[in-house]
Amino acid sequence: MTSAAVEPTPTAAPAASVIASVRDLRVHFRTKAGIVHAVDGVNFDIRNGETLGLVGETGCGKSVTARSFLQLVPMPPGIPVSGSILFRPRNPCPDCLGEGCSACDRTGRVSSPCPACSGEGCQHCDQTGLETIDLLDLPDQQLRDIRGDRIAMIFQDPGKALNPALSVRDQLGEVFFTHRSAELLDAAGIDPDTQSVTGRMIRRKANMRSRGVENLALAIPPLRDRRVALASAADGMVAAALAETQIPNPMSVMDRFPHELSGGMKQRVMIAQALACNPDLLIADEPTTALDVTVQARIIELISQLQERYRTAVLYISHDLSLVKRVCDRTAVMYAGQIVEVGDSDQIFHDPEHPYTQGLIEAIPSTNRERGRLEAIEGTVPELIEPESACRFAGRCPHTAPVCTTHDPVLEPIGEDRLVACFIHNPPATVPTEQLPRPDGRLL
Amino acid sequence: MQIRDYVLRRLLILPVLIVGVSIIVFALTRIGGSPIGIYLSHEMSAEEVAELEARFHLDEPIPVQYVYWAGGVLSGDLGWSGVAAAPVTEVFPDKLAATMELAVASAIVAVTLGIGLGTFAGARRDRFPDHVTRVVSISGAAMPLFWFAILLLIVFWVYLGWFPIGRSDAQIFASIPHPTGLYTVDALIAGNLTAFRDAVWHLVLPALTLGYGATAIIARMMRSSLVEELQEDYVDAARAKGLPERLVLRRHARRNALIPTVTVIGLSFGFLLQGTVVAEIIFRWPGLGRWMADSVLRGDQATIMTYVLFTSVLFLVVNLVVDVIYAYLDRRVVLGT
Ligand SMILES: Nc1ncnc2c1ncn2[C@@H]1O[C@H](COP(=O)(O)OP(=O)(O)OP(=O)(O)O)[C@@H](O)[C@H]1O
Ligand code: SF4
Ligand SMILES: [Mg+2]
Ligand SMILES: [Zn+2]
Ligand SMILES: [Zn+2]
Repeated sequence: MTSAAVEPTPTAAPAASVIASVRDLRVHFRTKAGIVHAVDGVNFDIRNGETLGLVGETGCGKSVTARSFLQLVPMPPGIPVSGSILFRPRNPCPDCLGEGCSACDRTGRVSSPCPACSGEGCQHCDQTGLETIDLLDLPDQQLRDIRGDRIAMIFQDPGKALNPALSVRDQLGEVFFTHRSAELLDAAGIDPDTQSVTGRMIRRKANMRSRGVENLALAIPPLRDRRVALASAADGMVAAALAETQIPNPMSVMDRFPHELSGGMKQRVMIAQALACNPDLLIADEPTTALDVTVQARIIELISQLQERYRTAVLYISHDLSLVKRVCDRTAVMYAGQIVEVGDSDQIFHDPEHPYTQGLIEAIPSTNRERGRLEAIEGTVPELIEPESACRFAGRCPHTAPVCTTHDPVLEPIGEDRLVACFIHNPPATVPTEQLPRPDGRLL
Repeated sequence: MQIRDYVLRRLLILPVLIVGVSIIVFALTRIGGSPIGIYLSHEMSAEEVAELEARFHLDEPIPVQYVYWAGGVLSGDLGWSGVAAAPVTEVFPDKLAATMELAVASAIVAVTLGIGLGTFAGARRDRFPDHVTRVVSISGAAMPLFWFAILLLIVFWVYLGWFPIGRSDAQIFASIPHPTGLYTVDALIAGNLTAFRDAVWHLVLPALTLGYGATAIIARMMRSSLVEELQEDYVDAARAKGLPERLVLRRHARRNALIPTVTVIGLSFGFLLQGTVVAEIIFRWPGLGRWMADSVLRGDQATIMTYVLFTSVLFLVVNLVVDVIYAYLDRRVVLGT
């Protein structure tokens, strides 16, 4: 790779208010045609409590980026080339025990100090002094603790993301058995430290570790009562989580199977499942694309409401630019495996700086609210198979200049809180002026 | 529809199916010739033969013969087995017990091994264990049963002497009562571990022979449907919840992968029954299959009819059970349509 040297993310926000930052993420795929550079040097930050929109044409690498947060990209064929995703988990606020107070900005959660420097600031924590972990470099157990608890994900098609063979109760219950077994035991009135044989069996049950024979034993009276208590404690949590999503009649929904629910209800179940443990970060990969237009609006409103209430940061992936403009605080624009522009949504949509963003926004139909037709930009996305060092947009950009086909533009700040990867805004000092794109010609 | 109602309905249809099967089989058997041969001897005169034919209603048209036969079956008369030189009803229970013991043992081997191997391979797709399993199961499906049986016989009985053939040691057999005719069960009822070990040891070779083919088919099916299920979104969703891989496999993917596999299990039980003929002959297992083979060679139609009728009923029942399991696993199945 001859791309420009990787610098630490040029971020306009103080690192401490950033919940997750993606640094030089590169994920490639081995295919028959060659190595596909699906994600090729992606950089962006997600700040505490914000909604960050991630937009771009189909196949530009949005889902691969999103899945990387939880190590859900299939490897093989995926190849983890490089990069890190730094994440600052947040724990219940000691002052208010999660209720929300001024010390924690009413989020009920605070970051813990970095174990390496105990809050002094060091290279592990990006000088923030806050506990920082790399999601791409975690022991299995720690990764599983984060999945579904600190970071949750909603998938595009709720019909496929729910297991057809398990009831809503079973699927949602799993989240609590995985991450809240101590609370479950507590709610069921079982001593969580009990060392008796039967106590251990109940504890194993609460951690979903019981094997076949044990399950038989758990069906006999002395153990059965405690198992039933445990199950009803879980049911209580499941019902509460479902109620949060304003699903009508949560108690009856619990016993249903996915095929007995409408698309909107399925997505509500997914949302209940994702937000069950009150995560710090929610990744929503086109959460409404598979739904009816009428249901879409309600699901989006639900996500925004819950996010506001729990101060969850959201990475919101969508094709629908008018939607992103409406619900996202900031927006990142992705093109052919790279981020080309990031900034405040209002600014991006009113005053796009990157030629690709300009083309995208122009393509938003003003009268109807249908999805923006991205194909309105002339030309097609370049091959992602072992790309040359060049601006990926060069083939379609109206401003293409010689430098664009020989150098890789990098994301660099322009103005306050705005990053753009284009030579119009960030001409390399070493290149003669006549080879640079002309900064005037705005698309209009 | 409730599963209970569904089962009841299927049970009500069962007799109709059985009558249908018996008509077809009866007609086919009679087309093959008169069953009279097995009752004749060289000393008989033409009058005696005619008298015998009249006695067994063999001079009537085939449909009428069927009615007599069916009436006999309903009153518990399955006819005379020339091969066993006894009424079919007298010999049948013992032979049936022997065959069922063998078939059930092989089915247990095939189901547990097939699902186990298939899961093991599917979860390690395209890695070394998957390739090994593939070779093992393809050879299991491709190898002729009789050849594999002879191979086992030569290696484990002739050379190594690890496992015996036949059904049991005569002395041990005589030492316990036989209320069920299933020797393993009888030994357990008697609390006689020596007899139990003997019964199991005798089962090993024929059960392996019979089970191998079915294991192979079940393992292939399980492997490929697991590989398919593992690519579904719900599997990633389960991972995204924080479930360990063990539970992603057990609670999520395997459950759905079992759905198509269960159908194959039902079908392979049919092959397994067919296989008993070969396995019983080669391992000298005194079951229905061997008796059946002798009967076919000697035109013993009463036995053939009984055997075919019985296996059809068994096959129908097994497939009913399979359908019920299927409906239980796949919640989307609308029962009764
Ligand atoms: N499992 C895979 N095997 C091979 N290539 C893959 C795989 N998954 C993704 N890719 C490649 O990665 C690229 C990016 O895919 P990704 O799913 O991230 O796109 P996307 O931006 O989410 O598109 P969409 O808007 O259609 O969801 C695609 O061009 C595809 O070729
Ligand atoms: S770098 Fe060049 S080709 Fe790329 S967007 Fe900017 S002007 Fe267009
Ligand atoms: Mg996608
Ligand atoms: Zn607080
Ligand atoms: Zn530190």
